[in-house]
Amino acid sequence: MNKIFLRILSIFWFWILIWALPTHPITATAAEKPFIFGLLLVGPYNDHGYSQAHYEGGQYVERKIAGAKMIYIDKVNPADRPGITIPQLVDDLMEKGARLVIANSDDMKDGIREAASMHPKIYFVHVSGDDVLTGKAPQNLMNLFGRMEYGKMMAGFVAALTTKTGKIGYLGPLINEETRRLASSAYLGARHAWENVLHKDPADLKFQVTWIGFWFNIPGVTTDPTQVAHNFYNNGYDVVISGIDTTEAIGVAQQKRLEGKDAWVVPYDYIGACEGASEVCLGVPYFNWGPGYVDCIQAVISGDWKSEWVWRGPDWQDINRPDTSTIGFVTGAALPASAKQSLNAFIKELGAGKTNLLKGPLFYQDGSIFLKDGEIASDQQIWYMRQLLEGMQGASSAK
Amino acid sequence: MRVEVHDIHKHYGPVRANDGITLTIEPGRIHGILGENGAGKTTLMKILAGYTRKTSGYLCMDQVPVDYRTPTEASQLGIGMLYQDPLDFPFLSVLENFMIGQAVGLANQKKYYRKKFDSLAADFDFALRPNVQVNRLTIGERQQLEILRLLSLGIQVLILDEPTTGITNVQKDYLFSALKKMTSEGKSIILVSHKLKDVEAVCNQLTVLRRGKVTGEMKAPFDTDILLEMMFGQTPIPFNRCLQESGRTILELDNVSAPGGRSGLSDCNIRIRQGEVVGLAGLEGSGQDVFLRIAAGLLRPAGGSVMLKDKRMNAKDYHCFKHSGVFFQPSSRLEEGLISGCSVTEHFALQSDHKKFVTKWSDATSDAKKKMTEFRIIGRPDSLAESLSGGNQQRLLLSFLPRNPLLLLLENPTRGLDMESSSWVWQHLHKYCSDNTTIVFSSSDLDEIIMAADRVLVFFNGKMIKDTRTCETSSYELGLAIAGKR
Amino acid sequence: MKPKLLLRYSKELILTLAVVFLFTTIILLVTGAPVLAVYYHIFKGSLGSWAKFGHVIKTWIPLTLCACGLLYTFRIGLWNIGVEGQVMMGAIFATAVLRFGVESHFSELYLFLSILAGIAGGAIWALIAGYLKTAGGVNEIFAGLGLNFVAQAIILWLIFGPWKRPGIASMSGTELFPKALWLPSTFLLRISPIGIFSAFAAIILTALMLRYTRIGLCLKAVGNNPKAAYLFGVKPQPYMLLAMIFAGGFSGVAGCLQVTDVYHRLLPAISSNYGYLALLVVMLGNFNVWISPAVAFFFACLNIGSVQLPMMLQLDSSLSGVIQGASVLAALGMQAWRMRIRSNEVGAFYE
Repeated sequence: MNKIFLRILSIFWFWILIWALPTHPITATAAEKPFIFGLLLVGPYNDHGYSQAHYEGGQYVERKIAGAKMIYIDKVNPADRPGITIPQLVDDLMEKGARLVIANSDDMKDGIREAASMHPKIYFVHVSGDDVLTGKAPQNLMNLFGRMEYGKMMAGFVAALTTKTGKIGYLGPLINEETRRLASSAYLGARHAWENVLHKDPADLKFQVTWIGFWFNIPGVTTDPTQVAHNFYNNGYDVVISGIDTTEAIGVAQQKRLEGKDAWVVPYDYIGACEGASEVCLGVPYFNWGPGYVDCIQAVISGDWKSEWVWRGPDWQDINRPDTSTIGFVTGAALPASAKQSLNAFIKELGAGKTNLLKGPLFYQDGSIFLKDGEIASDQQIWYMRQLLEGMQGASSAK
Repeated sequence: MRVEVHDIHKHYGPVRANDGITLTIEPGRIHGILGENGAGKTTLMKILAGYTRKTSGYLCMDQVPVDYRTPTEASQLGIGMLYQDPLDFPFLSVLENFMIGQAVGLANQKKYYRKKFDSLAADFDFALRPNVQVNRLTIGERQQLEILRLLSLGIQVLILDEPTTGITNVQKDYLFSALKKMTSEGKSIILVSHKLKDVEAVCNQLTVLRRGKVTGEMKAPFDTDILLEMMFGQTPIPFNRCLQESGRTILELDNVSAPGGRSGLSDCNIRIRQGEVVGLAGLEGSGQDVFLRIAAGLLRPAGGSVMLKDKRMNAKDYHCFKHSGVFFQPSSRLEEGLISGCSVTEHFALQSDHKKFVTKWSDATSDAKKKMTEFRIIGRPDSLAESLSGGNQQRLLLSFLPRNPLLLLLENPTRGLDMESSSWVWQHLHKYCSDNTTIVFSSSDLDEIIMAADRVLVFFNGKMIKDTRTCETSSYELGLAIAGKR
Repeated sequence: MKPKLLLRYSKELILTLAVVFLFTTIILLVTGAPVLAVYYHIFKGSLGSWAKFGHVIKTWIPLTLCACGLLYTFRIGLWNIGVEGQVMMGAIFATAVLRFGVESHFSELYLFLSILAGIAGGAIWALIAGYLKTAGGVNEIFAGLGLNFVAQAIILWLIFGPWKRPGIASMSGTELFPKALWLPSTFLLRISPIGIFSAFAAIILTALMLRYTRIGLCLKAVGNNPKAAYLFGVKPQPYMLLAMIFAGGFSGVAGCLQVTDVYHRLLPAISSNYGYLALLVVMLGNFNVWISPAVAFFFACLNIGSVQLPMMLQLDSSLSGVIQGASVLAALGMQAWRMRIRSNEVGAFYE
């Protein structure tokens, strides 16, 4: 018995050794030194949502910059990876040669700052954060984000044009400045369409925000987004705008459609989110991270790196141009042609500055003033939105 | 069927449970296997019944060598075993138990088996009602059920392991006549026992085992003295006790009632005096178990009063009783008495007098060694309790008895011990009495009670119905009382 | 323990690991993953560098603490499934104390108090299950599971409610504690000496308690046969409560370290499933105080090393869950095998 043990064990380790030995020379003799960048994704890389948009942004970088190579770790959240911390993962990425690390979630704010202060020679991009604005960021950390409020305005716009009941549901993730900003933008877009295209009374438009508690469903921790979407449709909300990273709302809409109900959905984050859901999908506002990433990495390569706060918007020439536009909106097959026309007109007005929805007078939910009459919101005012806007239903902050 | 056993060995490590046993069981005979505890009887029977594999040797049935590894294979060959505690399903009915292992398929064959059961039961005069749940039967009735089941499976060789333990004399008579009837049909019966009297009464032939070897064979009629010598090497001397004078009352139960056990206990008035040995007789579960547990504080009486040396003890627990010198030992050794998974040394450490935070293992080990020699326990101090044989477990339990107890409450203290061991136990226990310790014990063996006790209390259906000196009664009279005929 | 027995246990452990490898390999072959590469990356990813080793130790510490606590309850025959909730409660109590220390200059004092609070939190949570068991006859498994859910609900409520970050309602956790309230760690491995110390202290204390004290003996006696132990003068209930206190206390320390040493805040997944994992560790470690930490180390390596799988091989890292599952199956198989051997040994003096 003992001998057999030893034999099996020794064979095992022998193979490990044989296998392990030649790998080192191969990696060491790679022709030219590639620029390796690491990507920390909060969800699965193929989630058809937020994380996949980032993943494909990384692939875009690999195509655009010669020698750039992406390594990624997905499902970076305490529920999926118990006991793993951001600095640990950054160590892992560095070990594989990463010189720049992109963290894609608001949730990684503290961890990435900690890692950045530990490794001053590595560059860090925190997507969606504001450490540069608050002054907490070390020199090697920058913030990057897209002006999704435009995308959300378009989402609200098509939702208002489509709804038959005048009730729009917004499937919200957790409550913070970013999510309040996006939910409010969607509402502004919807109200604009309601008032100026359909010429109806804004008081008749119902806009309900329901928060689940995190960017995606964590069973037992968050509210179940599938359940929330069901509740929306069952209570007469015939259009649901998703604000979460994953695509549960689409599935629910399809199901309701099969049951013969009116149900439309506007997903979020990922350009391909509408695929396979043409009967219910009105369109999707999406992030196109590629150009932003390319700029960051080129800045490192050329030595022009600056710790700055970058908020990239759509390319108004063509919001769906992959090389320039960070924010885009693709329409879905369920959107009627007439609505599509109105949308295009709306986009043109936005781009030309003829229409600015973030212009006073605007009031917060509790009636206090957000923007005075005629006042145009500054970036800071938009970024740090303190409450939902007047006319919306749902919690502005935790109870 | 003729069963031949050739040179069977069974070794557990260095221990030879069976050390070259050869014997032949003739068809149509009741063949007794006699021997003290640890002689190797049960091991041999388990090998025959397919529960244990032999180390070496071979078996023949009707001159054909056979080899089987499981009880199922054994029963296909026609060998069945009836255990001390029949292996049945307590929550199924008699008929359902009867059908287990025979009825196959989904169809409801109850009618067919009901017929089969009724005719078999009538054949043997067994008064079993087929729809009663098995957990309401006595051990004797469960035995009868198991015999019927085995017979309907087509058993040709029936092995009975200590079948007369725990059943009434009446049931014993039924059993024996059933056995005789089966032999008349050409079946072979193997009866394992250490009760000489039973074996002598029913067997045609005897084989005596000792320390894993055959020490002798004998055909009826038997000579008891020679048998005893084969079993023990020497004949133990019987003793008798009948203390007339006794001390003051130490335990007093007034109108005590309590639930529990099979029958509970009702309106019990008992006085136990210092220095006497009191035997409790009765069918198992007739109230003596409840009485012992109330006297130990393990059960709370529902009514009446319990006085220990003029102190009312009704609401006190066992530890309180123990503090006053009462010591209880249960009959189920591994279930209640010993801690399986703990070594002998650990048992001693657990009850050592100085209960310090840190255990003194060296003291406990030397304690264990000393007691093991004194009580002739075979094993090592680090042997686990469950690895000891039944007799050794019993002796280990007895070695736990404190030095100067006031009252010893012992449940079946010699159950499963052979005559020599039990006589040794009683010599040891009687030493306590000369130091004014009182012993109250229960036993299913009336002869043991008459020999070892001064006084006997008979329980029937939850009531104490007879209280008499052992020298003024006989096993016949007690037997009547046990059966409820005063 | 006798060296012979230790040898046998080690042999069993190695055999178990061999079965685990076999099982995992089969699964890898079925999924078409490169078998050796997977093992290589897990190995390299967990022990390939000092930094990795540091991460492994960081996981090993709470796992070992929980495992040590569980040894007490297993010894007395209790299935303390509630260990998960006890970790959470330890974390909650520790966080509560640290919140008072945010503005304070005596951060060391608050760190020290947080450990005590962690012990108290875990112990109280364990005592509830223990009390339900001893006084109410509620099976500790059900009580423990229930309390786990309650503890999780309390954490969520705190994070979403009273302890939320200002203006934010997110499940991602409470505000980060200032650096002064992080457990100091060594520069080299970024391991906290206090964490290491508490893990080793737990191992040694548990070993001594179980082997050399009357408490250990009584736990074993009650665990193997409560009725007989009672006849020997040992009341089972107090010892059950005592075992629960030990288990809860140790897991409470683990919970506290998760806050002060790992995450520096309270978050929903603060327990990182270490409680449940520790149950497996102890079972796989044959309920032995010297082997369990080794098994914990193995699990910690798996946990850390499996991060490499998506990075290097584009494999789903839940594969490490498969390996853990395989370990449990192998352990159960091992146990069955052990029982067979043991039943042969039991016969040694029988008949």
